[in-house]
Amino acid sequence: MAKNKWSRYLALPMLSFVMVLAACSGDDTSKEEGGKKEADGGQDLKNGGMYSIEDFDNVKTNEGEAIDGGTVTFGLVSDTVFEGTLNWNFYSGAPDAEILNWFDEGLLTWDENYVYTNDGAATYEVSEDGRTFTFKIGDNVNWHDGEPVTAEDWLFAHEVIGNPDYDGPRYNTDFTNIEGMEEYNSGKADTISGIEVIDEKTLSITYIESTPSLLTGSIWTYPLAKHIFGDMAVADISSSPEVREKPIGFGPFKVDSIVPGESVTLSKNEDYWRGEPKLDGVTIKVISSSTVVQELETGGVDLVSDFPVDQFPDNAEMSNVEYLGTIDRAYTYIGFKQGTWDAENNRVAYDPESKMGDVELRQAMWHAVDNAAVGEKFYNGLRWNATTLIPPSHPEFHDENNKGREYDPEVAKQLLEEAGYVDTDDDGFREDPEGNPLEINFVSMTGGDTAEPLAQYYVQSWEAVGLNVNLEMVEFNSFYDRVGNGGEDDPSVDVYQAAWGVGIDVDPSGLYGADTLYNFGRWENEENDRLLAEGRSEKAFDLAYRQEVYNEWQQLMVDEVPVFPTLYRALLAPVNKRVMNYAIGDGTGVYLSDLAVNAESAEVAE
Amino acid sequence: MWKLILRRTLITIPQIILLSVLVFILAQAMPGDALTGLIDPNIDPATIEAMRERLGLNNPWYVQYIDWIKGVLQGDFGQSFRFKMPVSELIGERMINTLWLSLATLILTYLIAIPLGIISGRFNDTWLDRAITGYTYIGFAAPLFIFALVMLFVFGFQLGWFPTSGSVTPGTEPGTFAYFLSKLNHLLLPALSMALITTVSTVQYLRSEIIDTKQKDFIVTARAKGNSETRVYNRHILRNSLLPIAAFFGYEITGLIGGTIFIENIFGYPGMGELFLSSISLRDYSVMTALVLLFGLAAIIGALLSDIILSLVDPRIRIK
Repeated sequence: MAKNKWSRYLALPMLSFVMVLAACSGDDTSKEEGGKKEADGGQDLKNGGMYSIEDFDNVKTNEGEAIDGGTVTFGLVSDTVFEGTLNWNFYSGAPDAEILNWFDEGLLTWDENYVYTNDGAATYEVSEDGRTFTFKIGDNVNWHDGEPVTAEDWLFAHEVIGNPDYDGPRYNTDFTNIEGMEEYNSGKADTISGIEVIDEKTLSITYIESTPSLLTGSIWTYPLAKHIFGDMAVADISSSPEVREKPIGFGPFKVDSIVPGESVTLSKNEDYWRGEPKLDGVTIKVISSSTVVQELETGGVDLVSDFPVDQFPDNAEMSNVEYLGTIDRAYTYIGFKQGTWDAENNRVAYDPESKMGDVELRQAMWHAVDNAAVGEKFYNGLRWNATTLIPPSHPEFHDENNKGREYDPEVAKQLLEEAGYVDTDDDGFREDPEGNPLEINFVSMTGGDTAEPLAQYYVQSWEAVGLNVNLEMVEFNSFYDRVGNGGEDDPSVDVYQAAWGVGIDVDPSGLYGADTLYNFGRWENEENDRLLAEGRSEKAFDLAYRQEVYNEWQQLMVDEVPVFPTLYRALLAPVNKRVMNYAIGDGTGVYLSDLAVNAESAEVAE
Repeated sequence: MWKLILRRTLITIPQIILLSVLVFILAQAMPGDALTGLIDPNIDPATIEAMRERLGLNNPWYVQYIDWIKGVLQGDFGQSFRFKMPVSELIGERMINTLWLSLATLILTYLIAIPLGIISGRFNDTWLDRAITGYTYIGFAAPLFIFALVMLFVFGFQLGWFPTSGSVTPGTEPGTFAYFLSKLNHLLLPALSMALITTVSTVQYLRSEIIDTKQKDFIVTARAKGNSETRVYNRHILRNSLLPIAAFFGYEITGLIGGTIFIENIFGYPGMGELFLSSISLRDYSVMTALVLLFGLAAIIGALLSDIILSLVDPRIRIK
């Protein structure tokens, strides 16, 4: 998916077909997320069945000499088929994005901190006021059919997405932030006033608001080939054969043939702007998560899009692969409902007097749970205790010194006592400060083997400090319906467990601002609003200032606990040993055109 | 005979209408819709609401139903929200895969069931019969998804006799003989896995029918007339014993287009089962309703077919 600020709004532990859906919103072209890690891949991974992300490298160790050409097989691990909407401007499912990565790319690349660089197919300059960006597309950047990628194509992508007939999910705040976009979208203007084609390869875009987020993913960098799609009605593009059967891009490989829903064969694009790819071709095939290990062992696939982390402990010693690992841009969290959604004014209606409105109660509930143990028991250390709401996948902004709230049931009990939550009728559970029975409803999502035991663990932990919590497990769609995805919150939900995928831009205002629907906790706080605004102000172009703001914000969230993060997670990618020049994560400087192999066929496990 | 067919066909029409209404109401009652999964703070909820409005998701169910049925009557099942392509095209794509797989399964099922059933029925209570019955018990007990995985591990990965995923080798030119062979090669293992499990009920049916029939008076008569044992079995017992199986055949047709989510998932073989399940969980209503209608239609036609076959082969149960 493209690089929006927010990606993959995952509702996590769940079946992968649900995953696809959740991922609809999201996007991350290079699905792998990054994080700087020491290069110490050779370490002994085994540690009493416990693993740590520290032990993984995100760049493949090269062995032997690369052969000329060769092909690799990429296993698209998915329990649903790919939809086949193979164009960055239209796709919505994560599996489609995995395929798109091989034959098309954005015009800008970014570094390990997700900031746009000038190493990509296009370079950019920012004006004094930070609002106007001038892009220059490289002269050697051509579509697979030989036509040059032009500024017109880039403008055309904006025009199509901004068209009222557009049927994809891309038209969002990144687009409405372009001058003249809303007028164009509503039909008041024939052109987008903020976008100007200067010459064949030069384009300038003027944004309404200048924010550091523009540099980290808020620019739409995927051109749409106007010489192909220009004459089509916008509503027809996504179902056209030029998207579904013979898709086009300007990436290192070109699509030869597609078997709908199961495989794609690609061959190298000799005219690729970074230089001719080393491999002759790539085969992408869909494999089930239940057979991924066997496919890897037998060399049926060299690379996989996703590896179920729960299968890692049993297969850590697989002899023919090297495991790459990186920190996922996501966190699991537990949220507290403290109000409702005011649809009329489009903002949260925070109610400090609500059942979960007491800050000490929320703090106590965080102290009562041992997330480190959850990570070890349920995930063998491949998920671990989360401390703040900015995950370590954003090393620039994640505050390592902030320890969050550590597991300590005694502190939890003490906090509850002080706030007046005491057991007055000797039933083993605390009553609220008014002496009324306190019954908390906890809602969690079904999916996967561990979803329910994990939720049960939280319930028991809260019981251990004297809180009466009822658990309800619901399916993904009902879950988000009830939590308030449509603005109609179910009043019976007090506490919920969910997960967010974090975009490459760190700005969390889309999740915790007072005017955002996705602030499911319906919590509002002045200091929070101030910090969120500061974080995306012009002043925040200064990195040190932005860091300071987000450190303060992380601490505020630890103090106020409108939600609390529970687990961070690792992403693992097994890679066949014959593969060379491969990396996961961002800003590694390793590109798919460098990908090579040291043998004709994949290594097989002993 | 024709009267029966006509009458049954006429009954089918209100059945289908009722079915489509039910499907629609149930779909409406499910929490969430195709846009529920679009949880992206970057997209203004107003935009999502506008999309809902455009897709007609905010209309009351009867309005949506009328819109939909109008299209269906013109052969237009609408557009899949998820695949962004016409539902009929999408189903067509998947149906071909599923039809091939089911056909292969059906053939294998009967190839296994008929000889095993006959042997086991003819020589009942011998060791051979016990072995076959033992197999059928295992077949009843083994869950399809475990069995298919085991088959895949043994024959696909360990022995490497069969391809392990997909319906055709990537990159094969459609329409060529190599393409056909590749398709066939990809079909065999999933079809065999399924046939070995689904055949057991047919084996059991056949066995008990044969045991039942061979004690009938007319068989005694046939023997008394001096017919050879082979003739007695082939002409008299088998023909009568195949009746219920023939009747069952109509229902098997329904299974032909239904697909099996387990097999499809394990073998990475995109078919109707996967399409149905994912369109429910992702709330792709247009696909879901079209599929339910299709399955319902197939079930009704299958039942009709069963009745017709039965009345053709067995004059006793013809309705006057």
